[in-house]
Amino acid sequence: MKNFRFAVLAGAIGLAGLTTGAHAEDVTIGLATAQTGGLAYADQPSLAGFKMAVDEINAEGGLGGKYNIVLDIKDTRTDTAATVQAAQELVADGVKVMITPCDADPSIAAGQISQPAQIPTLTFCGTTPTITEAVGDYMFGTYPADNGQAALLADYAAKKGYKNIYILKSPDSAYTLRLPEYFEEVFKKKGGTILGEGTYTMGQQDFAAEVTKIKALSPQPDAIMTAAYEPDFPAFLQQLRGAGVTAPIIGSDGIDSPTITGLGAIANGIVHTTAGSPVAGSKLAAFYDKFKEKTGAAPETVYVATGYEIPYILDAAVKAAGSVDGPALRDALANLKDVEVLTGKVTYAGTNRMPIRDITIVEIQDGKRAPILTAMPDPADVPKP
Amino acid sequence: MLPWTGVPPRAWTSALLLIAGVGGLALVVSLVFGNTGVNIATLALLQVAAVLALATFSGNSGIVSFGHSAFMGIGAYVFGVLAMPKGIQASALPNLPLWLQGHQLSLAAALLIVLAVGLVVGILSGFPLARLSTGSAAIGTLAFLIIIHVTLIGARDFTRGSQTFYGVPRLTTVYVAFLAAATFILVARILKETPLGLKLRAARENEVAAAASGVNVRLSRHMGWALSITLSVTVGALYGSFLGAFSPKDFYFDLIFTLIAMLIVGGMLTVSGAVAGTVLLAGVVQILRQAETGIDLGSLHIPGIFGLPQLGMGLALLLTIWRRPLGLMGLREIGPDWPRRKLEPMPPEALHTKPAGAPLKVDQVTMRFGGLVALDNISFAVPPRQVTGLIGPNGAGKTTLINIICGQMKPTAGRIVIGGREMAGEAPHRVAVAGLGRTFQNIRLFDRMSALENVTVAALSKGHDAANARRVALAELARLGLAHRAEDLAGSFAYGDRRRLEIARALALEPRFLLLDEPAAGMNPAETDALIRVLESIRNDHEIGLLVVEHDMRLIMRLSDRMVVLNKGQKIAEGTPQDIRSDPKVIEAYIGTKRARH
Repeated sequence: MKNFRFAVLAGAIGLAGLTTGAHAEDVTIGLATAQTGGLAYADQPSLAGFKMAVDEINAEGGLGGKYNIVLDIKDTRTDTAATVQAAQELVADGVKVMITPCDADPSIAAGQISQPAQIPTLTFCGTTPTITEAVGDYMFGTYPADNGQAALLADYAAKKGYKNIYILKSPDSAYTLRLPEYFEEVFKKKGGTILGEGTYTMGQQDFAAEVTKIKALSPQPDAIMTAAYEPDFPAFLQQLRGAGVTAPIIGSDGIDSPTITGLGAIANGIVHTTAGSPVAGSKLAAFYDKFKEKTGAAPETVYVATGYEIPYILDAAVKAAGSVDGPALRDALANLKDVEVLTGKVTYAGTNRMPIRDITIVEIQDGKRAPILTAMPDPADVPKP
Repeated sequence: MLPWTGVPPRAWTSALLLIAGVGGLALVVSLVFGNTGVNIATLALLQVAAVLALATFSGNSGIVSFGHSAFMGIGAYVFGVLAMPKGIQASALPNLPLWLQGHQLSLAAALLIVLAVGLVVGILSGFPLARLSTGSAAIGTLAFLIIIHVTLIGARDFTRGSQTFYGVPRLTTVYVAFLAAATFILVARILKETPLGLKLRAARENEVAAAASGVNVRLSRHMGWALSITLSVTVGALYGSFLGAFSPKDFYFDLIFTLIAMLIVGGMLTVSGAVAGTVLLAGVVQILRQAETGIDLGSLHIPGIFGLPQLGMGLALLLTIWRRPLGLMGLREIGPDWPRRKLEPMPPEALHTKPAGAPLKVDQVTMRFGGLVALDNISFAVPPRQVTGLIGPNGAGKTTLINIICGQMKPTAGRIVIGGREMAGEAPHRVAVAGLGRTFQNIRLFDRMSALENVTVAALSKGHDAANARRVALAELARLGLAHRAEDLAGSFAYGDRRRLEIARALALEPRFLLLDEPAAGMNPAETDALIRVLESIRNDHEIGLLVVEHDMRLIMRLSDRMVVLNKGQKIAEGTPQDIRSDPKVIEAYIGTKRARH
């Protein structure tokens, strides 16, 4: 029954292709992403960048120079059930590529629907490294994965000479729990010691207990590592500094937002990973200028840039595959190597479809982020998901 | 006896209509919108089932539960572990205990186990919940939400913690969802009319009066909760199978707020409301979702705005609370009053055949509140076939004594004996079943239930089956001249009728004794006269002993065979109305207070 439906669908699309003749062929990309709700902070800027890139590519003749991109955008309201529904609709509409939200739950749920339909599916900025294995060979990540970020950060901490590190994590999400755990694994392997660890509930606001525990540590930790982000991170930071703890903080890309730089002097010295930092003269900085010129405002987060990169990654894959046929496109994507994008290079070949890509480590000083280094994590360091 | 024996036929009609309505809508949506429509229908049907699971407890008991979404989570995870394909299970849950590994059950088999798990979870979680008062029970459900959420996150070997739980086979087709919705509609609608449903609703309307009508409020809530949780856990499994991948946060605040919003918009008090609210909100969300990508009207292009569905849901909720606080459906269940089967009242000779036996004895009852002695060694008897009047000025201790007799307070010392049984300190519902019916000073009826239902609740406590309880209730209503208003809501009754309805309810307990707390309060002389006639007929027709507490001297003197007078916690006089009238101690106690007025 299913095969019959696909045959009919394929036939219909084939006929449509014949009748349109000389025109560039349309290819529909379906986006089931969270434009409202708790994930909108990441999915909205990602979509803005994504659209901009699609317009540019279409102006140049389309994906791979011959497929005019049509977007089918559905809001999933940060709700997994709504994502499932949107994904089912997009599959039924015959999209050739699907884009899913910046989170593992909805991405895996949507991927389980697109996988049997052989539709290559990419998550906007889902960072949980298990996403691709959970779904199957049609699911791709695009953003630096949690274990990669953690590995690079641990390597930086070890080289910086940190010996004792305190870890703050929250079991409430995979990101806030597993990223510090990956860090711990790599940091220990590199000879470091975990002095202790605290847990918090996302949204708890009051960190008095955790801060007291840290203040009582003797010796004081060389640094505090956490994957907390707003509103937890600013609350924690203020209470920590208020209690007189001076240990530096190293964090992850969750705090790559204007809120943190807006905290003023207490944010000085925070070191965190990010997908990219717009250093003057870099490709990314040029993109930020271009984006500002077009929309009137500079991007507030790097998600605009990572969203912008995705159509270009697809473009490279379509060029290699020569078609937008599901299996061919999937194979081409999985074999991409060193694709130049705004924030560095992206490679899928040899991975489990969570790409190896450049990650930047930055330090916050006086409301600005200064890059410390940009590198790919050593594959030998990266912990197993 | 089957659980649905005695359920009024129109409940079946209305359930079938709701099922047909929901099924029809699902069919239309599926036919018009094709695959998209099928998906929309599947999700909406699951939501109907989830809201009904919630309504089964919250609607009938009046206690809003915030915990049901978490219980759905339990169902989803149990189902996931049991039904997951072996290969995926090995990679997703590597540390799963051996006995849970590799079952890969079919939908039906997994659901059966989920159902059993739900029942166990429901019964266990009901123990603490049923012991909480109405107000704190809602907070208690919130505790369940948080505890289960944290447990699901903590049980990493079974649930992958906060990471996505994936690979759950997607077996919830539109047919499965419809079957669930239809079953739940039937269960919820029929439950409302069963003895359990009546008792739950009575306790919702007035907990004290329900207990005084013999309802074991705690047990009823426990049973209602267990059933509701069983349904929730089951629909959770189907929801999980619909999603295919989820994590604990998918069963947290967001989900329960959506379900509660649907319930409130439609109306918590009816099954029709729960269904209507769900269908309406699901419809609003789907329609606005189509609109949010932008609409082309010829040359006019309306740009898309994301967030319209949430806006629509919020507005619907706001409008409901503002314009229709009881929800769209209010108190009405849809469906015709058909088929109508004439209810035959229980013949009078079948009522109150129980001999009254020994008198109700108040034996050396003392009650101290700290240093204050509210009752000091009070003893008297309420003989059958007689009216005993209890009077005393304000602060005499009458209310305390009534509370002790009815089981709401445990005396510091002394005994209360009803029908030869020691009752002091027993729960009010036990005292009621042991043979004490009562009315309240400030009338306590089950306002949002029909007159017949009000009285039926009490009749059920005496062990009648549902059908006979209704016949007893009708007979009691007829006795008090209210038979023609049996189907009207108690809340719509005028004052005098409310008094009589309360008495009818107390009589349906087939009590040995009847305690009337200021029965004539607020009545005009004509109503008082009518009341006296009713009370006299009760005393004359039956073997009941009446204990009447009253301020109206004219009434109490005329009605009483014997009188007991309390003052400042002491019994100061006992005897016939003639004796009391001339007792110097009574005159002294009343000088300047009651006597001046009467």
